[in-house]
Amino acid sequence: MKPVAFAYVRPTTLDDAIDELAAAAGSGKILAGGQSLLPVLAMRLSRPGTLVDINAVAGLDGIDRAQETLRIGATVTQRQAERDRVAAAVPLLGLALPFVGHRELRSRGTVCGSLAHADPGAELPAVASCLGATLEIAGPTGRRSVPAADFFAGAMTTTVGPDEIVVAVNFPVAAAGEGFGFAEIARRHGDFALAGVVSRVRSAQGQVLDATITGFGVSDRPVTRDVTGLVASAAEKTDSEAALRAGTDDLAREVVNTVGDGHGSRAYRRRLFAVLAARELARALRRSRAGQS
Amino acid sequence: MTTGQPAVKIAADALVEVRFTVNGSPVTVTVPTRMHLADALRNSLGLTGTHLGCEHGVCGMCTVLVDGDAARSCLILAVQAEGTEVVTVEGLGTPDEQHPLQRAFSHHHALQCGFCTPGFLLSSYDLLARGGVDPDTLPAELSGVLCRCTGYRGILAAVADVARAYPDGVPAPGNCTARTIVGRGGTGGGSVAGTGSSAPSPEIDAEAARVPEAIQRPTGTPTVTVAVARELSSPVQDVWAVLNDVERLARCLPGAVLTATLGADTYRGRVAVGLGPIRLAFDGLARVTVRDVADHRLELLARGADTGGNRTTAEIVLRADPIAAGGTRLHADARVFLSGRIAQFGRALAGDVSQRLFEQFAEAVDETARSGSTPPPTAGASPLAIGAGVARAAFRRRLATLRHAVRTRFRL
Repeated sequence: MKPVAFAYVRPTTLDDAIDELAAAAGSGKILAGGQSLLPVLAMRLSRPGTLVDINAVAGLDGIDRAQETLRIGATVTQRQAERDRVAAAVPLLGLALPFVGHRELRSRGTVCGSLAHADPGAELPAVASCLGATLEIAGPTGRRSVPAADFFAGAMTTTVGPDEIVVAVNFPVAAAGEGFGFAEIARRHGDFALAGVVSRVRSAQGQVLDATITGFGVSDRPVTRDVTGLVASAAEKTDSEAALRAGTDDLAREVVNTVGDGHGSRAYRRRLFAVLAARELARALRRSRAGQS
Repeated sequence: MTTGQPAVKIAADALVEVRFTVNGSPVTVTVPTRMHLADALRNSLGLTGTHLGCEHGVCGMCTVLVDGDAARSCLILAVQAEGTEVVTVEGLGTPDEQHPLQRAFSHHHALQCGFCTPGFLLSSYDLLARGGVDPDTLPAELSGVLCRCTGYRGILAAVADVARAYPDGVPAPGNCTARTIVGRGGTGGGSVAGTGSSAPSPEIDAEAARVPEAIQRPTGTPTVTVAVARELSSPVQDVWAVLNDVERLARCLPGAVLTATLGADTYRGRVAVGLGPIRLAFDGLARVTVRDVADHRLELLARGADTGGNRTTAEIVLRADPIAAGGTRLHADARVFLSGRIAQFGRALAGDVSQRLFEQFAEAVDETARSGSTPPPTAGASPLAIGAGVARAAFRRRLATLRHAVRTRFRL
């Protein structure tokens, strides 16, 4: 389990990092936390010519709360985010972060790195997808912002170019009347999910204004659907979870398209998704109505 | 986080010098870029308490603390450790004063084969460091380390015990003071060079690399402490005359050969040690730091290395006191630091060897002092004899244990 030899560069400015990526001419790879990259290197599934370590780059390590967004820089670790009580601003991050790998991995793994790695079973891409987060990307021609919906392009594939760097992610701060839910089923705590859901419901004066569900581990990327109609009609019933459950089977058939594996067939994952989606939408609805996120 | 590390550019076939702190001691390793931290700790620094299982971040055996947080040392490049503070299982407690977690693991028999224990100790330390842990969450919180003996119940019971005993956080690691990390195959005090796959011509530099350039006074907890006294028949001035003459002194030391006198009371030599099938030949330096004629006291610092990556540093004090009837009591106190595979033989065996070495040394000194002659180079006990002596001592110990067991069982 030893990687092939690679050149290692550690720039201290973003411009230098972009130059180093350009100099590597397509064989460069960004190293931030390395908790997904190093296993891939160890198994020699990837053989980059140059690793560009961005941990010493100034200005990438901040968690900044603006009025309506929480901005998390590229080298902020998942554990820093957990400790920084980002959950107060973005409750879904607080719900999802304890399920990202193990503590030992979150000590080094970064929030942005998890997004850039885009594992289909990972939690944070689903959170970014459900909330409509925006990613900031820097490259030789300047900066651009990409909404999460346009960022994930497939299993471990994003629309970031080989000469570009994810520098930050902006999560919308929870608004009044928003409630959230998160659940995943994994063989062991910390493993990638067999199936997982992230839910968001916004309501005002008892009326459901909008509702979103994102599934992960069920396709080649996080799958997000607007379920406002389903949640609004279920909200009128006394047992809203049962009412939701009646609708999530159809949703599961449409959303869950993974072929399945030894850990769980497609049918099993559809059942997981249907049950979890109903439960977590009901939970988000309750929280939304109770005025607690 | 911005690490504040300096900018570097290292080619794929080049070595990089990395400075960081391990268990409170500053270290420097020279490693290839692709070497992970666990290999640097094990191979370059000789800290083999950090175990390696899967080497791709699944099993958790290699868990260490990096800047206070538990992390997988197989998922951190050694070069990324620049400027960090690393704590390994060796830093958690001392053999005499174990960390509460170590005591609890022992109490609850939380280890079967013990391979996962370093990982579990550091993962649970990280979990309990800040206190406020709900015992119900322990299985999920400790899921980052695997035990293939499946001895989880004892592990969870041990961690739960410590969590209850220290609700506000467990004590800090107890063995993190600046000390000499003897390391493997490098040069300089506390600084050790790793052996990368592309290290420049190891054969040519082997001799130079084996013999350290400087001897630094070791600090920290020694592997072995020797404190023995033996009564000799020779008068104190004759004994002191032998001690004060390095050439004769060296010939009294079993298996030792003085190869060069370097000035400033520094000497180069070779010591052969044999234990059954084990044959080690240490090349090293020794420096006399104190020659107290009035008190008949000689203090030495010695440092040696063999080709197999074993290294030793020792601080030795020899003192001759006159006793009644014209004899001499020879005292030897030594603090011996071992690293490499030799250190894994355990303190008891290393202690036996050191003790036996001294006894034979004392006999040779007495003989030399009596005859006034310089013993031939072979006069020191042969390495084989040391081995036999230790084996005899070990056999006697086992016999005593057996006798005790028989007595206990049959109430004799």
